[in-house]
Amino acid sequence: MDERQHKAHRPAQSGAKAEKKSKGKGKEKQKGFNEKAFAPKSGRRAERQGRRNVERDQTRLHVPLVNRTPDETPPPVIVAIVGPPGVGKTTLLKSLVRRYTKQTLSDVKGPVTVVSGKNKRLTFMECNNDLTSMVDIGKIADLVLLMIDGSFGFEMETFEFLNILQSHGFPKVIGVLTHLDLVKKAATLRATKKALKKRFWTEIYQGAKLFYLSGVLNGRYPDTEILNLSRFISVMKFRPLVFRNTHPYLLADRLEDLTPRELIRTSDGKCDRTVTLYGYLRGTNYRLGMAVHVPGVGDLKVKSVEVLGDPCPLPTEESEKRRRLSEKRKLIVHAPMSDVNGVMYDKDAVYINVPGSFTRGNVDVPQGEGEQMVLDLQDAGETLDDAVARSQIRLFGSSSKPITVTPGDDEDEGGSEVEYDDEDGSDEEGSQLDEEDGSEMTDEDEDMQDEAEGQSHDRGRTGPRKGMRMVGSLASASRRNEVEYAESDSDMGEFDEEDGRRVRFGDDEEEADFEEEDDEEGDDEENVPRWKENLSMKAAEAFTSRQNRAKDWMKLIYASSLSPEAILADDSTRDSSNNQDGEDGGDEAFFQVKSKAPAGEAEEDEDRTKERVDEEDLRKWEDDELLESLRRCFITGGSGGDEDTGPAGEGDDGYEDLEGGEFEDLEAPGDGEPEEEDPEAKKAAELAKKKEILKRKFDEQYDDPESSKMDFYEEKKDEIAKQLQVNKEEFADVDAESRALVEGYRPGTYVRLELMDVPSEFVEHFDPYYPIVVGGLLPSEERFGYVQVRIKRHRWYAKTLKTNDPLILSVGWRRFQTVPIYSLDDHSIRMRMLKYTPEHMHCYATFYGPVSAPNTGFCAFNSLSSSAAGFRVSATGVVLDIDRSVKIVKKLKLTGVPYKIFKNTAFVRDMFNSSLEVAKFEGANVKTVSGIRGQIKKALSKPEGAFRATFEDKVLMSDLVFLRAWYSIQPRKFYNPVTSLLLTDKSHWTGMRLTGEVRREQGLHASINADSTYKAIERPARRFNTLRIPRKLQAALPYASKPKLMKPQQKQTYMQKRAVVMEPEEKKAVALLQQIRALRKDQVQRRKEKQHERKEVRRKKAEKEEKGREEKDREKRKEVMRVAGIKSKREAEREEGGGSRKRRKT
Amino acid sequence: MALSGTALHFSGHQYLRHRLVLSILSGKPVKVDKIRPEDKNPGLRDFEISLLRLLEKVTNGTVIEISYTGTAVLLKPGVISGGPVTHECPLSRSIGYFLEPIIMLAPFAKSPFQLTLRGITTDDRDLSADLIRTVTLPHLQLFGVADGLELRIKKRGSSPGGGGEIQFLCPVVKQVKTLNFVDPGKIKRIRGIAHAVRVSPQFSNRMIDASRSILNRYIPDIYLYSDVYKGADSGHSPGYALSLLAESTTGALHCAEAVSQPGVAPEDIALAATRALLEEIRRGGCVDRKHQSLVLLMMVLGSEDVGRCRMGEPTPRTIQFLRDVREFFGTSFKIVPANPSEPTSGELLFSCYGSGYTNINRSAA
Repeated sequence: MDERQHKAHRPAQSGAKAEKKSKGKGKEKQKGFNEKAFAPKSGRRAERQGRRNVERDQTRLHVPLVNRTPDETPPPVIVAIVGPPGVGKTTLLKSLVRRYTKQTLSDVKGPVTVVSGKNKRLTFMECNNDLTSMVDIGKIADLVLLMIDGSFGFEMETFEFLNILQSHGFPKVIGVLTHLDLVKKAATLRATKKALKKRFWTEIYQGAKLFYLSGVLNGRYPDTEILNLSRFISVMKFRPLVFRNTHPYLLADRLEDLTPRELIRTSDGKCDRTVTLYGYLRGTNYRLGMAVHVPGVGDLKVKSVEVLGDPCPLPTEESEKRRRLSEKRKLIVHAPMSDVNGVMYDKDAVYINVPGSFTRGNVDVPQGEGEQMVLDLQDAGETLDDAVARSQIRLFGSSSKPITVTPGDDEDEGGSEVEYDDEDGSDEEGSQLDEEDGSEMTDEDEDMQDEAEGQSHDRGRTGPRKGMRMVGSLASASRRNEVEYAESDSDMGEFDEEDGRRVRFGDDEEEADFEEEDDEEGDDEENVPRWKENLSMKAAEAFTSRQNRAKDWMKLIYASSLSPEAILADDSTRDSSNNQDGEDGGDEAFFQVKSKAPAGEAEEDEDRTKERVDEEDLRKWEDDELLESLRRCFITGGSGGDEDTGPAGEGDDGYEDLEGGEFEDLEAPGDGEPEEEDPEAKKAAELAKKKEILKRKFDEQYDDPESSKMDFYEEKKDEIAKQLQVNKEEFADVDAESRALVEGYRPGTYVRLELMDVPSEFVEHFDPYYPIVVGGLLPSEERFGYVQVRIKRHRWYAKTLKTNDPLILSVGWRRFQTVPIYSLDDHSIRMRMLKYTPEHMHCYATFYGPVSAPNTGFCAFNSLSSSAAGFRVSATGVVLDIDRSVKIVKKLKLTGVPYKIFKNTAFVRDMFNSSLEVAKFEGANVKTVSGIRGQIKKALSKPEGAFRATFEDKVLMSDLVFLRAWYSIQPRKFYNPVTSLLLTDKSHWTGMRLTGEVRREQGLHASINADSTYKAIERPARRFNTLRIPRKLQAALPYASKPKLMKPQQKQTYMQKRAVVMEPEEKKAVALLQQIRALRKDQVQRRKEKQHERKEVRRKKAEKEEKGREEKDREKRKEVMRVAGIKSKREAEREEGGGSRKRRKT
Repeated sequence: MALSGTALHFSGHQYLRHRLVLSILSGKPVKVDKIRPEDKNPGLRDFEISLLRLLEKVTNGTVIEISYTGTAVLLKPGVISGGPVTHECPLSRSIGYFLEPIIMLAPFAKSPFQLTLRGITTDDRDLSADLIRTVTLPHLQLFGVADGLELRIKKRGSSPGGGGEIQFLCPVVKQVKTLNFVDPGKIKRIRGIAHAVRVSPQFSNRMIDASRSILNRYIPDIYLYSDVYKGADSGHSPGYALSLLAESTTGALHCAEAVSQPGVAPEDIALAATRALLEEIRRGGCVDRKHQSLVLLMMVLGSEDVGRCRMGEPTPRTIQFLRDVREFFGTSFKIVPANPSEPTSGELLFSCYGSGYTNINRSAA
């Protein structure tokens, strides 16, 4: 065969063939899969396939969960970077920050927030190798970049972290393999990757994403790889986790100590601090007054919450127009603790780094954030003195004169400014103060003020303003009980207080009016007929007043301290006065006598649900027209009215319908006409709307009858979506302040939390490398109680857990040490204590500690220190039950001995000490060791504590009598929060230790209980007397029962006396047999010897092999020790500042 | 114990019931002082003591400290345990006084409530057993507390003798549903129960006739039942009462009641009840005035969603309740007129963001 090269095939580039081929290719591609290939061949198969499809569809469904993060401004996604030291966490963080912001961070401390997309921000947080940090990070991270050293493999911390994640709701995890460049051989690399991936998948789920980062270039990972990783991060979807969806939380990115310096100085730095923490709110809404827990510090109270401007805002509308995120937006990075843009926020100071010389002049040099801040400070135009002089601080919101420091010597006309504070509202200087003022006022006040301002904007008025403030409109006003402050001091003289009752401004006619009403309120109790006389008048009045304005209920209820009765009673008086006010131009003062609190009579205002029936009040229902007016509230009533107005609204319509009498003139004259034609139009519109809905419904059903009925899943999702829509819309039009009051602070806002009474060590020993998490506590979680959990010892944890040994738990936000008691359900009868946790089985544990909701997961540790050998997660489980008492029992056996035995009755002693104790146990079941059951009957008088007991059979004196009882035990009330953040060395927290550990440390031996030592047990041989039967009795016994008293035979038997002589043949035969036996014996002997020889050889060979193995072993051990030595040496080096790694091998 | 040591502080004997309820639900200790300090008979009344005892019975770990003079009480709430409980109510107040707070607590107990109360079933101060059965319990059903919710009137007892007995069964829930009830609808039916014990059964018929004389003009769907208890089931004292309720197309309930008074004809009692019902209907809203605080409480205890409810003008009790709710739960309501185009109607729209309260007493296993 010749080795001639064949000509390579050249496919046609043009022509019919090429066309045909390309066409075919395109067609195939478009078609997708061959439908026929998956068509079922038989009916049964079709049915099975259909069933399988449905089942698969069902498995795809998840329980619909409400996502409470707002859509428009979600909080940044927390991306935690976790891994063993030296794996490249910081490098990855820097690379990612560089990818998003084109900035290189020199020293990363604390969280770093960047904008990653149009609607997405990321907060990166590096997690150090401390277990407490891992626990905290695991509770808040939305996405975990789990870094694994490819050249080394998984480390124990990684598995520990995964277990922590698992028990606190599993966030998304992306694995990142690094140091792959250290694996030189391609085959090894492939194998390593495969092995690690397999392990990773078994830990997370099959198909979990695992990234490979090759090497480090310029201190960063390759840009393309980081780009890919960032793409994966950006498309990540997050399913809400139950715990985080019910709790607000915050990852603090900045800490500030607000304690007065003087206080710190005087207390030598030991006083409790006031600390502010900054961060984005996450989870659910943070409500006012909610307590928080800072893991590592403890439960703290929030003094105030302040919404701050977003330091890392999302792209706005104009940049939204562009398809890509604008470059400028990209550059924002918010990392207050890690020296970005030359500004670093520390706990008590702000450091600004300035490159080169810092002068005001050089504008050409680009200024950083910090420099700008300094320049702004320098730009301050005026001194503090000026500001004080111009300030409009008033003692009360209502007082007209602000506190003045140096009146008159200013360039602005001090005098007039001072007098007309209302005008100041329009002034720039006073605006801020007036805003504060306005927030206290009810809106009618504001209205009126606005009106007044409108009138007198010429600033020409010189007379002092008279009071226009209503009592009851201001929170501050009503708080004062006795003294009525005037709007201005000069007003004070104009009226006097009469016999302790409060007075209001008003002209005389008004006063009379109000007095009348005052009487009326008194009448409510006394039923004076006068009330009835002007019943209609009252109704009319109430009607007009109500028509004119509605009350601001929120302010009345929440912002005023009026009594509830006053709020309701105030209605008519206040409003009518208001009307009058409007007519009078609001400039007149008038007196009004404030009614005494209706809670005068103690007996009257008892706690009753049904209000007192007022006969007079009900008498108006005798009126036929009034009765008729209510007809609209019933289905039989005219359907002409609009549907959406309620019965009362219709009731009011009813008033309008009334033709006769006094109600007619109450109608505003202008209102009559439009009202007449309105109903027509309204009706038409209503009808059209109804028709529209019906039509849509019909269309829907006609077009696709299947779509109209939703399945359960769709229904639930729809319900959730609808509710979220309602949530979004309900408070959309409310101003920020009252919105915070009603619904709290929404997730996604950047807030400043002011925490009170924070331990000073938290600030003193603050370390930005440790995450500070602020977790909101639900009201129930502030309580303490006995918590029952289902627990299972982790199978990788080497020891079993023992009852009453301290255990560190991480439940909810908290991590704390407590003392659990393990138990198991004993046949659903009792909870029986276990001394040790069972192997491979769940059991219950009960401990005292802060309550958390049932179904909350937890994990437990015996030690948090990194020096602990082996796996540190000792158990995992879930909270089952919360209670204030526990019913755990342990077995107690009481023993006694019978001292007198009758037939089935025995007297037993040594079980109890007194007859009282016996009385307590009367009727209790007892049992002997031999299994005879019995019952305690009654105490005996003679030996104290002895009792009579009956048994089912006669007991022996040598038997022990047992009483099996149950003794209830309570877990110890021990709760010790892991306050690791308060330590200088945060990774070395020690809680309560076991006695053994303390002894070991102090070099003590366990004390020996003399009773517990082993002694030789002397058991004297039991001697039984010979049985003697009286001769008389013996004679009477039947033969079979008679003792057989016979001596052994003395004489020789016949056979013994005879000698045997053998025949010669016989002799020969015997001799032959003997020879054969001798031969056989010899043969066996020789065989044995041979065997022994062989064995000897074998033994020698084995010995030799053993020797070789030992040699190998010794060498191996030597190698290990050598490696360990290097390791420890490196460790020492690292402690000195070297960068070597510490490893704990899996 | 961190923060749990701080007790909320209130003064006065008024609104004691709902303060105790809020304390138990929120787990915050409450201290109430100045309880009738100026009275001839200062301090807690027997029914208030009895209520405290009842609360102690239905909870586990509750600590109640009453001062020496009885003018101050400190309640450190425990866990609502529920289960079978029997309580003798004093004759100074009716069973309603004790049952109303229990109804607020019952859905959040550890095990279903089986409460037996003995005493007066109907009086003029608190909701009668009839109204609780026909109106209060349907209000709970709005919030998903439905299966197994039942009130059985075993015996009736009028004041002053008492002798009545009721059994209250309530299931436990994990979380109450969010309420969105803004359409009051139109009244489609009226129901009523007229009962007479230890008097002529004719009395109830007379009440029914009198009531019908007014109500018949509105709708035909009126059923007023005459409920007669005989012998031992009728308590120790004579009495009669008429309770009425109107139900709308959307399920809104309005109720009224009038109880026999000495020297007043049954017809007048019936008229009073009927007119009170009409008054109630006129005030509008989706929720009856007597049940405002119950509905508002359940709205606060809902999931972290916006609940809305349309109501008439709040009663003083409701106003104080709203304030106390804010103290205990930090939740405030948004209160706006129901239809802004028509500020004349006294109807208000209460909306709040639920506190996400879950029944942590209920065990998971």
